[in-house]
Amino acid sequence: MSRLRALPRAHLIAGLCLVALLLYPVVNPWQPYPQGVMLLAFLLAIQASSWNIVSGYAGYISLGHSMFLGLGSYTVGVLAVRFGVNPLWVAPLGGVTAVIIAVLIGSVVLRTRGHAFVIITIAMLLAAQIFAVNLKGITQGSDGITLELPFWDRDFQNIPFYYVYLILLVLTVLFSAWIRRTKFGTGLVAIREDEGKAASIGVNTTRFKIVAYAASSFFIGMAGGVYAYYLTFINPVGSFAILGSVTIVLATLTGGRGTLYGPVIGAFIVQVVSEAATVYGGGSQSRVLLFGLALMVVVLFLPKGLLPTIEAWWRRRHPEKVEYTDQAGALNRAPATTTERVRAELAAVNAEDAIAPGEILLDVRGVSKRFGGLTAVDNAGLTVRKGTITALIGPNGSGKTTLFNLISGGMAADSGEIWFDGRRIDGMRPWRRGHLGLGRTYQVTRLFKEMTVQENVVAPLPDSRWRTMFSDAVGGHEAARARELLDIVGLGRFANQPAGALSYGQQKLVELAQVLMLEPKLILLDEPAGGVNPSLLGQLTEVIRELNRSGVTFLIVEHNIPLVLDLCDPVVVFSHGAPIAEGPPERIRTDPLVLDAYLGDDWRPAEDGTADEGAGESDRAETATREAVQ
Amino acid sequence: MTHLVQAIALGLLIGGVYALMASGLTLIFGVMRIINIAQGAFLILVAMLTWWLWHETGIDPILLSVVTTPLMFGFGWVAYRLLLSRIRGSSASMSVLLTFGFALVIEGVLNITAGNKFKSATPSYFEESFRVGAISLPKAQVFGFLAAMAVLAALYFVLTRTWTGRAIRAATQNPSGAALVGVGATGTAALAFAIGSATTGVGGSILSVLYPFFPASHYDWISRLLGIVVLGGMGSLPGALVGAGILGLAETLTATYGSLNWSTLVFYIVIMVVLLIRPQGLFGAKLREDTV
Amino acid sequence: MTASSPSGTETHGKSGLPLSRRRGRGLRTVALSVVAALALAACGTRPSESAAAGGDTGKPIVVGISLPLTGDFAQPGGEAKRGYEVWRDMVNAKGGIMGRKVELKITDDASNQDTVVADYTKLITQDKVDLLLGTFSSLLNYAASAVAEKNGMVFVEPAGGAPNMFERNFKYLFFAQPATAPHQADVFVNWIKSLPEADRPKTAAYPSQDDPFAKPVIESMQKQLEGLGVQTVYSEVYPADTTNFQTIASNLASKKPDLVAQGAVFEDGVGLVRGLKQLNFSPKMLFQTSAPSNAGQYSDGVGLANTEGVFYTVSWNEKATTPLNTDFVAAYKKAYNADPAEDAADAFAAAQVLQTATEKVGSIDQNKIRDWLHGNTVDTILGPLSWEATGEPKGQFLLAQWQSGKVEVVAPSDVATSTTVVNPKPAWK
Repeated sequence: MSRLRALPRAHLIAGLCLVALLLYPVVNPWQPYPQGVMLLAFLLAIQASSWNIVSGYAGYISLGHSMFLGLGSYTVGVLAVRFGVNPLWVAPLGGVTAVIIAVLIGSVVLRTRGHAFVIITIAMLLAAQIFAVNLKGITQGSDGITLELPFWDRDFQNIPFYYVYLILLVLTVLFSAWIRRTKFGTGLVAIREDEGKAASIGVNTTRFKIVAYAASSFFIGMAGGVYAYYLTFINPVGSFAILGSVTIVLATLTGGRGTLYGPVIGAFIVQVVSEAATVYGGGSQSRVLLFGLALMVVVLFLPKGLLPTIEAWWRRRHPEKVEYTDQAGALNRAPATTTERVRAELAAVNAEDAIAPGEILLDVRGVSKRFGGLTAVDNAGLTVRKGTITALIGPNGSGKTTLFNLISGGMAADSGEIWFDGRRIDGMRPWRRGHLGLGRTYQVTRLFKEMTVQENVVAPLPDSRWRTMFSDAVGGHEAARARELLDIVGLGRFANQPAGALSYGQQKLVELAQVLMLEPKLILLDEPAGGVNPSLLGQLTEVIRELNRSGVTFLIVEHNIPLVLDLCDPVVVFSHGAPIAEGPPERIRTDPLVLDAYLGDDWRPAEDGTADEGAGESDRAETATREAVQ
Repeated sequence: MTHLVQAIALGLLIGGVYALMASGLTLIFGVMRIINIAQGAFLILVAMLTWWLWHETGIDPILLSVVTTPLMFGFGWVAYRLLLSRIRGSSASMSVLLTFGFALVIEGVLNITAGNKFKSATPSYFEESFRVGAISLPKAQVFGFLAAMAVLAALYFVLTRTWTGRAIRAATQNPSGAALVGVGATGTAALAFAIGSATTGVGGSILSVLYPFFPASHYDWISRLLGIVVLGGMGSLPGALVGAGILGLAETLTATYGSLNWSTLVFYIVIMVVLLIRPQGLFGAKLREDTV
Repeated sequence: MTASSPSGTETHGKSGLPLSRRRGRGLRTVALSVVAALALAACGTRPSESAAAGGDTGKPIVVGISLPLTGDFAQPGGEAKRGYEVWRDMVNAKGGIMGRKVELKITDDASNQDTVVADYTKLITQDKVDLLLGTFSSLLNYAASAVAEKNGMVFVEPAGGAPNMFERNFKYLFFAQPATAPHQADVFVNWIKSLPEADRPKTAAYPSQDDPFAKPVIESMQKQLEGLGVQTVYSEVYPADTTNFQTIASNLASKKPDLVAQGAVFEDGVGLVRGLKQLNFSPKMLFQTSAPSNAGQYSDGVGLANTEGVFYTVSWNEKATTPLNTDFVAAYKKAYNADPAEDAADAFAAAQVLQTATEKVGSIDQNKIRDWLHGNTVDTILGPLSWEATGEPKGQFLLAQWQSGKVEVVAPSDVATSTTVVNPKPAWK
């Protein structure tokens, strides 16, 4: 709550600072030096805010971001020399070049997850330098490009640059704020928090990352164009210097990575401190050493950055009452009022479907998955019919979760086919499957803990349209729908809590609400009852039934046998990577094969409490084994 | 034809040295999932130290790796315990930023203590060559190559034949599994980081003879090494060997038949092409991070 | 997650009084400090007015300089600082300029373009220095000279001879070295011309680092020598970060040219000599641009015996008989207990240029100084200097050669320190 309350305050302070900065050259026009220092701070802030989009929001670190400044400078420099245009008028083209290069690099490097990106960003910075040196016909090689002096009267020498950079900075911050408000921004944070999970809720992680990289390059490229004019000379060594990237990283980290104003604050601090070091330091110390030390100190002792640390301190000093952290609060919130509307909505979705109830919705045909010598799923076949709540039970390690991963696209099957809603999906990326109406929850919940509950629910994307991607995640119909879904699972009151603060059971319910945002036809629930207390469990089953009545099909992995027998029909029993029995619950509970393989002779419904606990424990063991196998 | 054979021979000799330098990086990545950006700075640090010792005592620079290797082992151990272990558990990006900062600090310290000048150790055999038929193999290159191969063989022995090595390999292949059988994560990590640093003890000594260097040279070296590791498959030792050989050859052949201007770029082009076709590298297992 | 949290809108007016009161206080503080900051800074005059001001005759003359004392160019930057300081002490010992003491205001730009611009802007507009002297490396001088030009200040630079520098038609820029890079080779070509036809090289190879000072020298030499009928058998520009010279060396060894002329900055010069030595190919003539001028480092790098006969061009020599040169060398040795480097001498010469012009016009009026320099010749320790309208110098470099472990000037003949020229170069040792 306090964080939200701090928000308008932050905007107000920022606005005041902006007014002061706008007035400064008017009040004090004949001071090119302080104006020069300030405009360099603006430039650094533009770069830091932009870097923050890909490296702060999405968590993909770029160590070569100053490359875009150089690209912008060169674009504008070359155009200005070739066609004699004033660099200022073509500065936006610097941004365009930066975006094109970012998209090209991004579409090679960002297709996969992980570490290649950071390596490539350094390599590309150095490669850009080599290109600038060697493409002599365009760049004049290491001689560099010389530009004319600014056309305005020398009395105003720095003032125009000051305002151009200030305006660019405002635009950059507004752009960054807008991104963070959209589902695109929510998706980026989701990628940072848990990329695999993000993909499973319909976030096209490849596209999101590439767009983020491109978005983080535009304003830097444009600023680079202006920068060339400011310096009147550009060459490969100066334009593609790695120290420039270091300052960007340092500024953002100091201020607060992933925040809106942190990079700006950090940029001002770094710029002013390094200028002070130049003026008062007497040149005894190496700047590389200073920056390196500062970077290490920030990473080790201030990893979140100044702004979040100060905010945390402020919140500790001014604690706010948190409403409804108890479960009773959640439970009192009756979902009854909203279900009708949702049901109508879901029904509308279902009306478009070609497949009538009772037909096969999910068809797994002869699928296998091996980890080294271990065959987790062995030529398994499984069908889920439309409108059912199908259960998948079986001993630990029998391959149920692996099968879920194969269906949702988290892993690729070694052989076999998976069909969903009349389409073959086993070659599709996870988000495509999500867009087709396939949602899942996880054995151990995987909410984005740094986000609020509502953001978690807004994050999923039901389709691949750009309009959806850039729709408002804070207000508007997406947010309204998220609150509605939270009400359905009875957690509307927690909308603005950080997801990590909820109890485990509540997190399971939020994860279900999250999946509902995908407008799914089929939901895969991986042990929904595990670790959930009885009162919440009742609510959970109620929600599942309600949704099923409105047309959603379920496939549930669950160890709580009474729950399964009560809720599901049919029941599929899995053992050693393949189904061994299938049928209505009353037949399964008496099937000798099933009793032998899983339930055991002495299985009685009365023991469900202990069975539940045991299942929870063995879950963990299964998880561990699975990871070990990987 | 002689030209070609000469270029290939030189490329392979260079590749062998690259392989040694990249082995430490790939080992550290394999065990800890840390990209040690400071590895290039470690190399330059050792080269500077070797140069200074050689200059003061006249002892052969490559032999001096007997001194620098244990030093770097200790250096790596301390660096891990003091710095990297503090951020264990936070995101991988933090370790990148930390080692990046570390590299800058080393560069800055070298700038102040050793000055911003190019240096290069020149032992007596330095200008001599072995002649094999029409081709000539510079002695320094040959000695550097032999030293690198010896160290790689020793490293291979340690990793496959000793308990410590097996623990490291287990941790590489399967961290939680290794933890289950009692391979302590922190201890193994510190050990791996120390061994990874120790390889720069030899690598840096060889570098001091083969290449002129100055404090800021580490950017070139780290991007070269990262290129090799990406090409070979991150975390794979055989990958580093093969990747280094390929890039050494590509570099020399481009320099001989194309233009020297573009030979450095070959590294980056190869990286991009590999990432496009085979993101996990030549020897890399498809990263299990892709799993949910 | 802090202020970026996007879920703010609906909470706007949620919590009434206490918040707005608290916020009000915070805002007042911010607003007050903003007003205070603005008021505090409100002063100053138009740059155009301040630059034209004559200055008080009683006070010392302040010369503003920004130098790369740290970072990539720290080496020449440090030498330049010494050169300037030796000049200041020598001038002040003789009573200063126009009876006013000279003060240097030197700042460190950390080899960074942004900083050098900020530094010179500050020196001119904030510190209101009387005169300016240039910095080191073209990269920094490009940006710095533009600041000086904008502010109408004479900018005498001790380095920065890249040809583009003088295509900008600046009016206040003067390069205080005898020649720009493309004309550095002239003295060597003239010496070749003076040889009998039979002794001239028949074939030549031109490897050069891609460096704005090395490459133009070699390019222009190649053009001129081809004009003399010397056949080019190899010509290649290699990148600045090249560390492996074996491929170039083996190319050269297979072509066996009479002359190898290398555009070498430093380490590449040493690297190529080593490569050639490994392949045991010794050309009859070896010319390198600036690598051999790094006296001790060069002979250490290639071995003293192997320096014999290597040519290079240089702007200044310790033994030159130019006015004040012996004084400069002595003062430098006394102050720093070391041999002066070329960079220090260049800086000293730049200061001499500025000093002479100021004394001749009898004021620090920048336009008068500029006009005087465009019309006159200044005697410096580098020899006489004069300029084109663009600030490009019109003189000639010195041709130097390593002989018996020492450096001798062998051309032009009027300033030569030795009449013998080692030709052909002996084989490697």
